[in-house]
Amino acid sequence: MDIRLLRPSDIPHVQHANITNLPENYFMKYYLYHALSWPQLSYVAVDVSRPKKTPYDYPRIVGYVLAKMEEEPADGVQHGHITSLSVMRTHRRLGIAEKLMRQSQRAMVETYGAQYVSLHVRVSNNAALRLYRDTLGFKNEKIEAKYYADGEDAHSMKLDLGFIREQILDEEDEDEGGPVGEMGKKNEDPEVEAGPKKRKVRVGRGLGIGDLVEKNESQKA
Amino acid sequence: MPVVLSGKEQSLFRTVVRNYEDKQYKKGIKAAEQILKKNPKHGDTLAMKALCMNSQGKTEEAFALAKVALTCDMKSHVCWHVYGLLWRAVKNFEEAIKAYKFALRLEPESVQIQRDLALLQVQMRDYQGYLVSRRAMLAARSTIRQSWTALAVAQHLSGDLAQAEGVLTSYEETLKNPPSKTDFENSEAVMYKNSLIAEQGDYQRALEHLESAGKHNLDRLAVFELRATYLTKLDRTEEATKAYRALIDRNSEYKTYYDGLIKAMGVAPTDHKAMIAVYDEYAEKYPRCDAARRLPLDFLEGDDFKAAADKYINRMLDKGVPSTFANLKHLYSSDFKKEVLPSLVQQYIDSGKSEKSEEPKRNGDTSKGASAAFYFLAQHYNYYLSRDLDKAMDFIDKAIELEPKSVDFHMTKARIWKHYGNTQKASEIMELARTLDTRDRHINTKAAKYQLRNNESEAALKTMGMFTRAETVGGPLADLHDMQCVWFLTEDGQSYARQGKTGLALKRFTSIFNIFDVWQEDQFDFHSFSLRKGQIRAYVDMIRWEDQLREHPFYSRAALSAIEVYIKIADKPLLNGSNGTAGLSEEDAAEQRKAAKKARKEAQKAEREALAKKNEPNKSTREGDNDPKKKDDDPEGIKLAATTEPMNDAMKFLTPLLQFSPKNIDVQLAGFEVFIRRKKYVLALKCLLAAAALDREHSKVHSQSIRFKLALDKELDTINPKTAEVIKSEFNLIPASVPLAKFNDEYLSKHKDCARRTLSGLTTRRLLSPDASPSVEKDIVDILKFPTVTSEEATEAYEVLKSWKSSEVDTFKSSATQTWPKATIFA
Repeated sequence: MDIRLLRPSDIPHVQHANITNLPENYFMKYYLYHALSWPQLSYVAVDVSRPKKTPYDYPRIVGYVLAKMEEEPADGVQHGHITSLSVMRTHRRLGIAEKLMRQSQRAMVETYGAQYVSLHVRVSNNAALRLYRDTLGFKNEKIEAKYYADGEDAHSMKLDLGFIREQILDEEDEDEGGPVGEMGKKNEDPEVEAGPKKRKVRVGRGLGIGDLVEKNESQKA
Repeated sequence: MPVVLSGKEQSLFRTVVRNYEDKQYKKGIKAAEQILKKNPKHGDTLAMKALCMNSQGKTEEAFALAKVALTCDMKSHVCWHVYGLLWRAVKNFEEAIKAYKFALRLEPESVQIQRDLALLQVQMRDYQGYLVSRRAMLAARSTIRQSWTALAVAQHLSGDLAQAEGVLTSYEETLKNPPSKTDFENSEAVMYKNSLIAEQGDYQRALEHLESAGKHNLDRLAVFELRATYLTKLDRTEEATKAYRALIDRNSEYKTYYDGLIKAMGVAPTDHKAMIAVYDEYAEKYPRCDAARRLPLDFLEGDDFKAAADKYINRMLDKGVPSTFANLKHLYSSDFKKEVLPSLVQQYIDSGKSEKSEEPKRNGDTSKGASAAFYFLAQHYNYYLSRDLDKAMDFIDKAIELEPKSVDFHMTKARIWKHYGNTQKASEIMELARTLDTRDRHINTKAAKYQLRNNESEAALKTMGMFTRAETVGGPLADLHDMQCVWFLTEDGQSYARQGKTGLALKRFTSIFNIFDVWQEDQFDFHSFSLRKGQIRAYVDMIRWEDQLREHPFYSRAALSAIEVYIKIADKPLLNGSNGTAGLSEEDAAEQRKAAKKARKEAQKAEREALAKKNEPNKSTREGDNDPKKKDDDPEGIKLAATTEPMNDAMKFLTPLLQFSPKNIDVQLAGFEVFIRRKKYVLALKCLLAAAALDREHSKVHSQSIRFKLALDKELDTINPKTAEVIKSEFNLIPASVPLAKFNDEYLSKHKDCARRTLSGLTTRRLLSPDASPSVEKDIVDILKFPTVTSEEATEAYEVLKSWKSSEVDTFKSSATQTWPKATIFA
C-alpha cells in the first residue's frame, strides 16, 4: 500500500472508491477542481501489488482523502477542509485513513498556512468519530441538523493545527527531519470512512468550475 | 448596410447582453424583440437573441437566427462571435475556431474573443494557434504574471522547453522587489520553472535553482522529492541518502522512497542483508508502519523469507487485519512463497496462539486471531493460483462460525460461490452479507454487483437505490448516470448483453462513451481557471492525462463489450429490423415489443412533464441545472439495437481503442473482427499482425489467421491487385506452402493440453471442413477431460456447441455438471 499524493490520472479510480464506499458522490469535474486548486492536499492509498492485466492498468485506489482550503472563510481564518475520506472495506484496520489525514494536514500548514482543519461527519458514524476525535484529536464544534441529503445530522468538527506549526519550527531548528509521520498516539486504528461534507456546489456537469466556486469571468463581450 | 441603433435602443441592447450574462434568457429575448420591432435587421441584436435561445435549448432555431444575423451584418464581430459560441455549444470546435478567427479579424482588440479563441485552441491541442493567441494576449496585457505564465505553458505544451523557461525568466527580470515568501503564485511559478529545467535534462541547474530560488518554497514535499531525485541523478549519493531519509520520515508508507534510499546508499539489489537492515531500521523507528515490514517479503528468499513472513503474518492476524491476504497475494508468483504462506498461517492456528490472544478480550472483540487465520486460508484456497474451492468453503465456514455476523467473511463466501460458477448462490450470500450492515455502502455495492452477475438487473438497481440520492429526478439510474458510476453502467450493460437485451446493453455502453466525452470536455474550464489559481504543474499533469484519457481500462472494458454486441448484431441480422431482438426466440421478441411499447409511453409522459416544466421560466429540474436536459428519445436503446450498420457503429468505440490501447491484445482481436466484416482487409491484417506480435500462440490469433487466409482466397478477385500484393507480402502468419488443415492440426497437437487453444483449433477444423462437424463436436466434449480445464473454458466450449445447435449439447452439459456440480452456468 503506497500512501502518496493524488494525481489527476488517479481520479477515475478515486471516484470509483468514493461511489463504492459513500453516499455522497461527485462528478469528475469536482475532483479535478480539488486536484487542480490545491494539488498538495489530496492523498491516495494505492494497492501497488496487484498484478497488471494489460499495459494500460491504472493503479487501484483503496483509500483517498479529498481536501481543500476554504476559499472564503467566514471567520477570516485560513483553514483546510476535508471534503471526503474513505477506505475500501477490504483494506480497513491498516491505519490508512489516519495516515492519509496526517499527510494532508501537514501540507495544509506548510503550503497554505492553515490554522485549523474542519470536517463534517455523520452522527451515527462511530468508527469515523473515533478516528477524528480519539486518534487525530478533532473537537466537536456543533451539530448541524439535517446536514446530509438523507436527513441525518452532522458533527461539525475542527482540529487546531498549531501543533504541526510548532513541529515544523522545531524541525527547522534542528535542520533535520524528525519523525513526523508517526506523531499519533498508539490507538486501535479504527479504519474508517469519514462522512464527507455535503456538496455545497450545485449538481449538473454542465456547470463551469466557476459555478462550483467563485464568480465566473464574464462570458461574453 | 448595418443598422444603427438609437441611444435608447443601444442601452436596451446592453440590457440584452447583461440578461444573457445573468442567465435571464427569457428577459433577454424580450428586450431583444423590443429592439427588433423597430430594427428587424439589426445583426447584433439578432445574434444575441440567438445566443439566448441557444441557452434555452433551442439549438436549431438559434443557428437559423444566427445565420440571419450574419447575412444582415457580415462585418459584425458580435455576429461572428455568437456564431462561434453556438458551434462551441454543439462541440464543433473546428467551426467555432473559424468563426472566432473571423470575429477577431474584425475586432482585433477584443480581449473576450481572443480569449475564447485561445481556450478552444488549447482544448483542441492546436498548440501553434495557441502560441499565436498567447503572444497576442501577452502583448495586450504584459503587466500581469498570468499572461507570461500562459505563454510559457503554451511553449511547454508545444514542446519548446527552453523558450518556456526563457519567458518565465523574462517576467522575473521585470520584478523590482522579490515577491514575498507567502506569495503563492510566485511560489508555484518557481516550481514550474524548476520542472521545466529538469524536463530539459539539466539536473545540475535544476538542483541549483531548487536550492536557491526554491529554498523556502511553500510546496515543501515537492522540494524534498525533487531534491532527492536530482541528487540521485547527479550521483551525489551521500546527500541523496539524507534526502530520502527525510522523505521516509515524512511518509513511511511509500515504496518509491525506500527504493530511492537503497539506490542512493549504493546497495546492490542482490544484497538482501543490507536491504533488510534499512527496512528493519524503519520498522523499529515506526512501530505502526506497514511498508517497512511488508516490502522485504518481495525480495527475501528461503529461510529469511520464512522468518520475516512469519513475523508479519503473526502481527497482522493478531490485529485481525482483513487485507492481510490481499497484501500478500502478489507473492504467489513464486511457488515457494505460495507454499510457505498458508503453512505459516496453519502453524499460527495449530500453535494455539490465536486462542490465547483471545483471552484478554477487548471491547467485545471476538477471537481475532483464529478467525482471521481461517479467513486468510479461505482466501488462499479461493485465489486462482492456489484454488481448491471445497477447502476454501471449509475455512470460510469455520471463520463464520467464530464470527457469524462478519460482513467480510460472508463477502468471501459469496466470492467462493462465484468461483464455483454459481452466480445464484453467490448473489444470495452477498445479499445476506449486505443485510449484516445495511448502512455500509461498500457491501451494498458488492451485493448489487453480484446481482448483476446473476442477471438480476432490476433487483440490482433497487439495491443501488438504497444509497443514491432520493431527490434525483429519474430515480437511481439517473443518479448513477449523473454521478458517473462507471462500474455499475458497465456491469449493467454486460448483464443485459448476457440476457440478449441488446438495446439496453448498447445503451449502457454508450453512456460510458458519453461519460468519457464529458471527462474530456471537463478540462475546458481549467485552461483559464488554473492560470488564475496559479497551479501550473497540476494543470500540465492534467493535460497529459487527458491526452491519454481513453486508454483507461474503464473505457476499454465498456468499448470492447459494445463491439462484441455489435458483432452479434452483424452476425444475426434482425428478422424484422426494428425491435432489436437479435437472435431471440418468439417469446423474447414479444417481451421486447412490450418493453418498446412501455418505453414509448414513458417517453411521451416525460415529454409532457418536460413541457410542463418549460412553462416555468428559467427553472430547471434541479437547482443550478442550467442546461435544459435533452430528452432521451431512446431510453431502452431500441434505436441503437435496430442499427442496419452495426459494424459502422462499432467503429465509434473501436477507433479510440486502437489509438490509445494498441498493446491490449483484446483490442487488436476486436479490431480484426470488425474490419474483416467490413471487408477492410488491410486494416484487419494490421490488427491481426499486431495481435500476433503480442501473443503468437493466442487461441484467437490462430483462428483469425486461418479465417483471414480463407477470406483472402475467396475475395481475392474483389481486392485491388496492388493491395492484394501488399497483403500477401505482409501476411506471414501461415507459410504459403502449408495447407490450412495441416497448419491447424499442428496447432492442435502443439497445444493438446490447453483447453482454450484446443477449442480454437477444433472450431477452426470445422470451419475448414464442415463434414468433420460430428467428430469435432465429440472432441469438444472431450475437452472436459483435460486435467487443467477451467469452468470458464468449459463455458466457452458450451457456448460454441449451443451456437451450433449441436446434438452433443446435452452430453456436454451432464458431463460438465459432474465436474462442476455446484455451478449454475451449465443450466
